[in-house]
Amino acid sequence: MGQRVIIRFEQAGATFSDRVAVEPLTLTLSERRIGIIGLNGSGKTTFARMINGLVTPTNGRVTVNGFDTSSDGEGVRRQVGFIFQNPQNQIILPILREDIALGLKSRRLSAAAVDDAVDAILARFGIEHLAARRAHELSGGELQLAALASVLVTEPEVVILDEPTNQLDLRNRALVETTLRGLDENVLVISHDLDLIGDFDRTLLFHESCLVADGKPGDVIAEYRKIAAS
Amino acid sequence: MNSLYVEGDSFFHRLPPRPKLVLLLLASLALFLTRSPLLLGLAAGAAALLYGSLGIGWRQSWIRLRPILLTIMIVALATLILNSVEDGVTVLLRLTTLMMVAAAVTATVPIGAFIDEVTHAAWPLERLGLVRAADIGLSVGLVIRFVPEVVSRYQQLRQAHQARGLKVRATTMIVPLIIQTLKSADEVAAAIDARGIRGQRQARNLEDSR
Repeated sequence: MGQRVIIRFEQAGATFSDRVAVEPLTLTLSERRIGIIGLNGSGKTTFARMINGLVTPTNGRVTVNGFDTSSDGEGVRRQVGFIFQNPQNQIILPILREDIALGLKSRRLSAAAVDDAVDAILARFGIEHLAARRAHELSGGELQLAALASVLVTEPEVVILDEPTNQLDLRNRALVETTLRGLDENVLVISHDLDLIGDFDRTLLFHESCLVADGKPGDVIAEYRKIAAS
Repeated sequence: MNSLYVEGDSFFHRLPPRPKLVLLLLASLALFLTRSPLLLGLAAGAAALLYGSLGIGWRQSWIRLRPILLTIMIVALATLILNSVEDGVTVLLRLTTLMMVAAAVTATVPIGAFIDEVTHAAWPLERLGLVRAADIGLSVGLVIRFVPEVVSRYQQLRQAHQARGLKVRATTMIVPLIIQTLKSADEVAAAIDARGIRGQRQARNLEDSR
């Protein structure tokens, strides 16, 4: 089971030029499985990127286990893995094994240690057979698992997934959902797939750049349906 | 994402990456030490044999080498017209030989191995405090990674033109190709940040991250 991670937003918001992407908000996230929902363009992804330090707050501050995302991005990214909406963008090198190893090589591990870690993560997701395959040959579900493996190999405490079941067929969606449910790590999932987050510990709802609901999935999803219908 | 690397079991495939990169370096220097058509012709023949030994096949080789071969032809033709026939032939043989040796190296060295070797070679510069060796290795690896991607994007754009009944023109291809390539580069940079591959970097606030 992953260690408890404390993510704090202290009046933290993000503005791009003159456009507010996330209104300043204050909250603490410590639950193991958190869902983030909202309409397209509501600020979900920016909010999630603020946790990883990919977007630094223009107001206030964001900390992960005490590490400030603005001043200690390296410390934050060691603890927070991020999987993009399109996993193709996550894969940097074409051959899966090389790509997974890349994240470890930057930590200056020995070649043997890198090989062992790559073998272990491939085995964990049951994708050993994909090790020598090229990213463009993988199916949507395999690509999502590959992206997950490339991030989890560095052993982050929490992993953020941006719409992990987006554009997947039913079989691949089931594959990814089953994998996500079996993860030991703390997960934070942005999703339009309400079934996926239905049994999560906490759900946040964003609307027009503001956090408008925060609580158990049932209540927050009901609120989301009202917004979507209006 | 495609790759220039081709799996195989040829002699050149089995050779470790370092001697191949040294060969490429020495060839690129030696080819500029002579103007003899005979020597350059022999070098081109040897490079063609080397490339042919990889088992890539004529059709695939033509697809891979055609863009750079056309560029070499244009440069050689311009040299022939502006200088002399001898200069044109020299340029043609030199650049064609280099292209085939370089193509043989990139076809037999996976990008990860490229990154490792270049990083290793850049270590002395890191010790002098001039650069971060890992950054140099990653930069070279990314350049190689992007070559087939740019070609693939060009083909997609060409198909998009054809699907809409539009004539494929350089003027309508270049701008979207540059924009898409820069966007892709930005996404890869974000992935490098997100995966902590370069360690501490200034975070980039992306306009399109919402």
